Amino acid sequence: MLIRLGNWLDERFDWRKIWAAIFLRKVPHVNWWYTLGSATLFVAVMQGITGILLTLYYVPTPDHAYDSVVYITTQLPGGWFIRGLHHWGASALVVLVVLHLLRVFYFGAYKYPREATWLTGVALFLVVVGFGFTGYLLPWDQKAYWATTVGTRIAGVVPLLGPLILRIMRGGDELTAVTLARFFGVHIWVLPACLAALILVHLYLVVRIGISAVPEKGEKS
Amino acid sequence: MDRSPTPKLNRRDFMKATIYAIGGLIGVTLAIPAVAYIVGPALTKVTQNWIKLGAIDKIEENTPTLFKATITDQTGWINSQEEISVYVLTEDGQTYTALSNVCTHLGCHVRWNPDDSEFACPCHNGVFAKDGSVISGPPPRPLDHFQTKVENGFLYILRG
Repeated sequence: MLIRLGNWLDERFDWRKIWAAIFLRKVPHVNWWYTLGSATLFVAVMQGITGILLTLYYVPTPDHAYDSVVYITTQLPGGWFIRGLHHWGASALVVLVVLHLLRVFYFGAYKYPREATWLTGVALFLVVVGFGFTGYLLPWDQKAYWATTVGTRIAGVVPLLGPLILRIMRGGDELTAVTLARFFGVHIWVLPACLAALILVHLYLVVRIGISAVPEKGEKS
Repeated sequence: MDRSPTPKLNRRDFMKATIYAIGGLIGVTLAIPAVAYIVGPALTKVTQNWIKLGAIDKIEENTPTLFKATITDQTGWINSQEEISVYVLTEDGQTYTALSNVCTHLGCHVRWNPDDSEFACPCHNGVFAKDGSVISGPPPRPLDHFQTKVENGFLYILRG
């Protein structure tokens, strides 16, 4: 029955060929450092799942943000777990992205023909940093408030454009409800859209070009 | 993979099984808290408490008298105040019937119409008698009753 359903779908979607192209492609003999990309992807997906769950209760306004976070953490069954995963996952994601980037750099895996993979990877790194920066404000506690005050002020020291950048980030001169709302919007809509699109391209390139082998001593490149 | 003459578990199948097992374990450890987290608020029990409606000497005999009470509820992270309306009927000045004004059809608020001596629901023309029983329209059952008690001349209802 399941096999027949699988065949029926395969006739229409050709998914077995797609599956084979993605998962049954030939890879060079590599080491554990090559798992960092998959680890990064796994944590990113976890962040997506736990993030979606958090939006079921979180409210991005100054009068409800902190209370709704406390409600999630202390009142809801499993709330501490979901939020904990998202909280620690955020740090893990940054660490993994950096390690993955360093692996690619030191193994010279960014070279021809993988420059586009590298560049989308760098863009993904910036998106992840953006996630961290915008997500940090959302609990709306003292740490969040002052960290964002400082963070936006740092962006404000850019020559000439600084004051304008600061005003755009905060949605005005001060850190207000407008700031919280736009950080939330960027965190759950803008950045996830960028992340999904970039990951798609990044993974397409990984599958299309294949991954690099471990460089050998005396190898000319 | 056909090279192995023995039907033992080969390396590829072992890895496959391990991946499915670990993936399943991660899935379950995430899915159970996630489901609890989603349905959590639906499972919290409503606490019952007595609500003071008002003095019993305000109740006219044989005609439903409207009482309003403000109650404070903890909904999520917000302490919200809600006003509830209750119709109280007494025929002998001794026993009291407290009727909810929430229509049993789809939850609109019924109103006592003194001219016709009946409760009418504005939404779908549900009509109830003064004791709360259905006269006509779509309501499937009579208006809900609250348990009542009288203390020091004040009427209380049990809500929850």
